[in-house]
Amino acid sequence: MKTGRRQAPKPPPVVDDELATFVADPELATAFVADGLDHLGTIEQTILKLEASPGDLALVNDLFRPFHTVKGNAGVLGLLSIEGFAHRLETLLDLARSGAHRLGASEIELVLEAVDLLQIMVQDLPARAAGRPGTDLGARRQAVIEAVDRLMTAGAAAESASAEATAGQAASAHAAAGQAAAAEATSASPQATALQLTGDSWVGEPTTVKVSTQKLDVLVDMVGELVIAQAILAEDPALVRVGDERVSRQLAQVRRITGDIQRDAMSMRMVPIRPTFQKMIRLVRDLAKKFDKPTQVVVAGDDTELDRKLVEQLTDPLMHMVRNTIDHGVESAAVRAAAGKPATAEIRLNAFHRGGGVVVEISDDGAGLDTERIHARAVAQGVIASGAALTPAEIHQLIFRPGFSTAEHVTEVSGRGVGMDVVRRNIEALRGRIDINTERGRGTTFSLRLPLTLAIVDGLVLGVGGDRFVIPTPAVQESLKPRPEQVHTTHGRPCMVQVRERLIPLLHLGDAFGIRGARPHICDGTVVIAEDNGRPVALVVDELLGKREVVIRSLGEMFRGVAGIAGGAILGDGRIGLILDTGALLSLVSAAPLRVAV
Amino acid sequence: MDTTAVAASRRASGAAHGGKYLTFMLGREEYGLPVLKVREIIKVMDITHVPQVPAHVLGVINLRGKVIPVIDLRRKFGFDDQAHTERTCIIVAEVTLTATALMMGVVVDAVSEVVTVAPSEIDDAPHFGGQNGIDYILGLAKVKGGVKILLDLDRVLGSDGTLAIHKV
Repeated sequence: MKTGRRQAPKPPPVVDDELATFVADPELATAFVADGLDHLGTIEQTILKLEASPGDLALVNDLFRPFHTVKGNAGVLGLLSIEGFAHRLETLLDLARSGAHRLGASEIELVLEAVDLLQIMVQDLPARAAGRPGTDLGARRQAVIEAVDRLMTAGAAAESASAEATAGQAASAHAAAGQAAAAEATSASPQATALQLTGDSWVGEPTTVKVSTQKLDVLVDMVGELVIAQAILAEDPALVRVGDERVSRQLAQVRRITGDIQRDAMSMRMVPIRPTFQKMIRLVRDLAKKFDKPTQVVVAGDDTELDRKLVEQLTDPLMHMVRNTIDHGVESAAVRAAAGKPATAEIRLNAFHRGGGVVVEISDDGAGLDTERIHARAVAQGVIASGAALTPAEIHQLIFRPGFSTAEHVTEVSGRGVGMDVVRRNIEALRGRIDINTERGRGTTFSLRLPLTLAIVDGLVLGVGGDRFVIPTPAVQESLKPRPEQVHTTHGRPCMVQVRERLIPLLHLGDAFGIRGARPHICDGTVVIAEDNGRPVALVVDELLGKREVVIRSLGEMFRGVAGIAGGAILGDGRIGLILDTGALLSLVSAAPLRVAV
Repeated sequence: MDTTAVAASRRASGAAHGGKYLTFMLGREEYGLPVLKVREIIKVMDITHVPQVPAHVLGVINLRGKVIPVIDLRRKFGFDDQAHTERTCIIVAEVTLTATALMMGVVVDAVSEVVTVAPSEIDDAPHFGGQNGIDYILGLAKVKGGVKILLDLDRVLGSDGTLAIHKV
């Protein structure tokens, strides 16, 4: 117990000699950063659980152990700034787990702030090791350290005060009972620890190994090459000419095994969405406090797996949608009470596989979208013509237009300044889409539909001139051989094709891409009706060459600006088919009238 | 002119660029690329055209499952096109345009040999930057009785459009 005058704690020295061991042992360093962030994630989850059930000593122990580990590991690497800072928190948590200090709201806020700071400190290490400066956290760290000291002193004072008070009261039995209870509490914690070890979290835990993601990516790449090489071999004319049955069977066997290897390799890139959902839980908690809109999160399907790269790209859009929901969707306590809704709003996060892809849903029991207001706003902003007839679904999709907002005033919600239009663009870049289901007064559900993996697409191969293109099958509505009377012209130039009741704009790929050798007459070729977000385009190509799954290869930064091409795919004969970006193709339509004939 | 100063500055820039170079021909001129950047040399193969790119960007090729872009160096330097011979080939080299290193192929008329160039054998190049002002020539190497123009491939390929090489 500290009494009397205390010296204000000096800020811990930030010395870059502390990086000597870190720099000298890259393997240990990488492991420390990865493990450290892991532990900090666990600490964050645990503290949120503790907030929901305060006084659960088992959870307090779960909180103490990773702090102790991070501190210890930092010490091994000589990272004094991290070790020292973690030590302060560890002291507080040590008192808490022995029952000597209760973790109230202030302590919880403090631990969360400490976790945030430690995360930044750990993440900064590689940059600092490379000679770049780290984030200056001196002031924030100092604030936390002083707050911890204050709480410990206050806690100790409260403890001694209550001890005096109980002693002051007559009954020694009272004091004895109090002491016995305290003794029980301390002896209870080791038992709780033991229970934890045999609790659900340990039994049946699958064994895992840590593999660098770089090794994994290389493996998946090599498997992709194996699949292609195997396909090229199987279709080699020399081999086909041989026509030997035994050889065919062996080739089929190789194809089967290769297919299995590919599936297994791809599955190694799949990770559960749980950590992303965890980030949302923390975000909801912070925002709910900030906006004074009590909200709880219910999570389902957090073990649903997606491609690792997809998960990385999903975090920002999801965070923005959650912010948007709390800011605009969830009503104030007064409005909710008047509507007879529970005081605490609910956000449900759900993820599941469906139809060869994955669906991630964010639902709320808030105000729902105001269809009429959106429509009115869109007309006022000139986004749609006042007479235009739109279905409710189309009206809802308007919220993704750039610059569109029905908010009465803009709130400072995030430092990234991301709008819903960027959210949709991010999702579309992942070849996904966002559907909205909403009921005024009841709530809204955003469904993000995404492919299982970014690496493979099921595509239709199109031939134009001597070139090959691939269009993702989900984008294709139908294909047809057009009759002259279906092709409509403007000023003598073909511009539309009529399919049943719809008039669809034409895009002749040979013309748009300058492909020599493409069939100049539209009716000699084939028309493929593709759509992007409900907008259709009629692509004129020479012929359809079949359907196949292709591995997508990025063309590289050099071709980033090419409109209409999303990447390259290696086809069965080793040639490259350019993958079409349907949305971008639509922008090519209005560029110039077609220089082709009907 | 102070010959010692000129010689000193030549040595200074040459010192940075001494080493082994892969030499190749474009027309009658010989060029060199740092051999450490060269991954492999392949015969000209089927190049898949990509629409809406500058004329010197020929397209992409499939290199054992990897899709890499191919540039025509003659067009990049503003030379006229020439029919391919059996000596025409593609040099696959490692190039860093923005942040990451990537593989790119450049079509050249013929590949010669790897030569070792000492720093003293390298002269500063007159500035060929032309309208772009880009210094893509590391220096002029005087070896084996000829002059090889040593290229900084990152700078050559990093600029958009054609680079003008003035005939000396």
